[in-house]
Amino acid sequence: MGRLIDRDGLGRFSAGSRLFATGAAQSSYNLAYDWAASVVGPGVELVAAGELAPDTLCVVVSLVGSTTALGEQLPAGDEPERAVRALERRLGERAGAVAALNLAAENALIPLIAAAGLGLPLVDGDGTGRVFPLVEQTTYTLGGMSAAPLALAGGLGELVLLETAADRVEELLRPVVLSVGGWAVAACYPMAARDLARVLVPGTVSLLMRAGEPGAPRSAAAPYGVRTLCRGRIQAVEGSTGHGGELALPSLPSSIVLRESEGLRRLVRLEAHNEIVLALADGAVVATVPDQICMVSTADGMVVDVDKAEPGLEVDIMVVRAAPVWHTDQGLALGGPRAFGITL
Amino acid sequence: MSGVRGPGWEAPVTVAELVNAGPLAGARMYGAGENPVRGVRIVDEPSVFATVTPHTAVVLIGTAASGGWAVEMAMRRAWEQAAACVIAPAGGLSEGSGEVLAERLGVTLIFVDEDPLVVAVRVASAASRPDAARTQLVARCATRLAEAGASARRVLGVLNAELPGTSVAFLDRYGATLAGRRDALTDQPTRRETPRAAMGDTSRDKPHEASRDTPLEASRAVSREAPHEGTGETVSAGRSRWSAEVEVPDEEGGVLGTLVAAGSSRSPGWPAVVRTVLELAVAPLTAWAARERLRASRDFALQASLAERLLTEPEPEPELGFDPAPRPQGGVEDTDSARAAAIALGWPIRGPLTAYRIRPLAEPGQAAPVGPGDGPLAYTLITAALGQVPVLTRGDGWAGWSALGPSDLAERLGQALRSMPWPCAGGAGAQVEGLGGLAESLLGAEAAAYVAGGAGVVRRADRMGPAELLGALPTAALRAPAAVVLRPLLAIDRDGTLLETLGAVLDEGGALRAAERLGVHRNTITTRLDRIKSAGFDLDDAPTRLALQLACHVMLR
Repeated sequence: MGRLIDRDGLGRFSAGSRLFATGAAQSSYNLAYDWAASVVGPGVELVAAGELAPDTLCVVVSLVGSTTALGEQLPAGDEPERAVRALERRLGERAGAVAALNLAAENALIPLIAAAGLGLPLVDGDGTGRVFPLVEQTTYTLGGMSAAPLALAGGLGELVLLETAADRVEELLRPVVLSVGGWAVAACYPMAARDLARVLVPGTVSLLMRAGEPGAPRSAAAPYGVRTLCRGRIQAVEGSTGHGGELALPSLPSSIVLRESEGLRRLVRLEAHNEIVLALADGAVVATVPDQICMVSTADGMVVDVDKAEPGLEVDIMVVRAAPVWHTDQGLALGGPRAFGITL
Repeated sequence: MSGVRGPGWEAPVTVAELVNAGPLAGARMYGAGENPVRGVRIVDEPSVFATVTPHTAVVLIGTAASGGWAVEMAMRRAWEQAAACVIAPAGGLSEGSGEVLAERLGVTLIFVDEDPLVVAVRVASAASRPDAARTQLVARCATRLAEAGASARRVLGVLNAELPGTSVAFLDRYGATLAGRRDALTDQPTRRETPRAAMGDTSRDKPHEASRDTPLEASRAVSREAPHEGTGETVSAGRSRWSAEVEVPDEEGGVLGTLVAAGSSRSPGWPAVVRTVLELAVAPLTAWAARERLRASRDFALQASLAERLLTEPEPEPELGFDPAPRPQGGVEDTDSARAAAIALGWPIRGPLTAYRIRPLAEPGQAAPVGPGDGPLAYTLITAALGQVPVLTRGDGWAGWSALGPSDLAERLGQALRSMPWPCAGGAGAQVEGLGGLAESLLGAEAAAYVAGGAGVVRRADRMGPAELLGALPTAALRAPAAVVLRPLLAIDRDGTLLETLGAVLDEGGALRAAERLGVHRNTITTRLDRIKSAGFDLDDAPTRLALQLACHVMLR
């Protein structure tokens, strides 16, 4: 106990959260950062799940929807609090800690904002060890926890409570998020601290804070290892077919074709569906989900969003190894290639 | 059936053959396509690849063809399994990256627009019966050739369109392109040799025997027949080129020209197929030439004007293979039409040529016995004796040229004269090289024909001397004026001894030798000369001497 995330810690944390994060629009990230900085006050307590009393109700808080929408339709500031309070009302129990769904950019900061607003500690860990597009693609789900009941707070004061089977959460959530303006703050996966300790990817918050220190190597943000696949220049960005047609993912499949800049000069193809799900080099599979495949611009070191990839850009393709639980059969079923419609 | 075919017909079809001329015609191919195809496998998901055997054409459907990523993965697996090629429905993969990967892996990638399952069936049938697939192509070519009819240009158009990856050209006897694509010859040395034999020489080998000697196999030197200098096989840019050629006979069995095909495919069966198709084109080309000849024989003026054009127009520069200017690949050359027509007619246009001239003989003071309407008959009779040669109208008579030498030509010309209904004399010019020297040869032929004088007589310009000039003097016409000139002499010359003596003195150039010739004493000659001078002739005056010698020549003949 006793570790605080203050203004200084927030800076390191947010820097670390962007090292391998995709989908982070600059304006919405800045907004989330300013928002967090305005509420962090003396600091938010960071605790390990095992340090909490086993019966403590923990609530997972995350931004859902489009980060771009967040940048365009500003939050009122009370959304995280309202969402958690709604869930508390539904459960008849006060939350004792806040946890993150994942720790990519804004998603790392929203739980921190919630914890600061509610005066609760933030659990050191998250539900993915990386980012997946669906709310249910988490180690929490792998551990048998349900995302529902889920409370949703929109920027115009909306409050929605979802109660459904675990595998229908995403399906119900998406139209609701759209109807409240494209983004909302969700409070979900209510569970006891003993369960959270069992199902979360531990220590990831403090890990990112260390990785966000000036001068720290990028690999510090990848607890299970990271490798650089190759450096290449984007040749083409195409629409893609053949995978995920039946999947209800938020974005359409696309395909990024690169030519390796040096070495074998292989033809590299990245199949993207919300995130990069498959990397081929000369037709051979070199990386797939659940490992996280990202393009890091060689010009500025920033992660290049799939939607921002354009011909001519030179990138390093890096593969962040996912937490071991993702490589179990169960984990692969939830977050492996088949979950994205790819048969290998 | 297989007995008449070359060995290549049974060789497995290559991927390129499937695309160029087989069941995949019109598909886009990336990669060399040189692998043989022995079977087909339909792959709907990646796990099937484990059982794909080498030399298999892999047809992607379903999941395996569902996107660029799937096709790329399939290409990789095909490479690992040594498959012959990957056939994918169009649109699955951007063709640019497909091309890159095909090149990197050396796996041929083919995009088809049709249903891949239908394609698979057709490829399977071609792979299992390569000879049947090739026969199908030959049959299609035969149909197209029949549609093209007897036209050299259209026949070559069909050959070049229906034999993809192959350039076909039609060369005349001299090795110059008449029609077709020049790049059929790009790897061959320039061939500019004298024609092997003159037109109409019936002692030549049968063309089919000649063509059988040409090798069938690919990637082997094409050994030409002996008179051809240099063989055609070269290896350019690391890729072996094959070529095939077939001789085209004219309707008399002579050589009209040669069909030459070349390409760089490594398919062992392809050159044999090309050869067969070339042989199909022989008959239409022969028919084309025969028809042109028939037309010319019907229309005397047509062939005469064509011959005039050949004589007056400068020869084009047909040098092959040495043209530094890049020209469009496979462009069909529109060769000089007069020259092409001449070849069709079987006229010699290069090498040693000899001109001839036929002159109808008119009685003194009468009109020529032939008129403008007699040209066609003269053409028929001349070509019957000389073979396929041009017949021009020259003065009252006719002229032209032949590949025969002066001696043979003079003999044939004699035959022609004897067959003519009019009294005619003939002349053969000197032998010259090519059309450029023909004007001179024609001049000589004309002089020789003039000197020939008598009906049925043929003179050769290269054998013409003073005696022939004297012989050409119109003796009958000159006899009367000569008698007038010599009248003072003849008045005193009772037995002709004075005329004889005058002639002998002028011919021999002096009294002494004249005495020897006549067998009399020198003083006798001197005495007779005094009598001649007393008749008023001044033998010291040169013009008088020439006139008197001419008069004596005429009177004493």
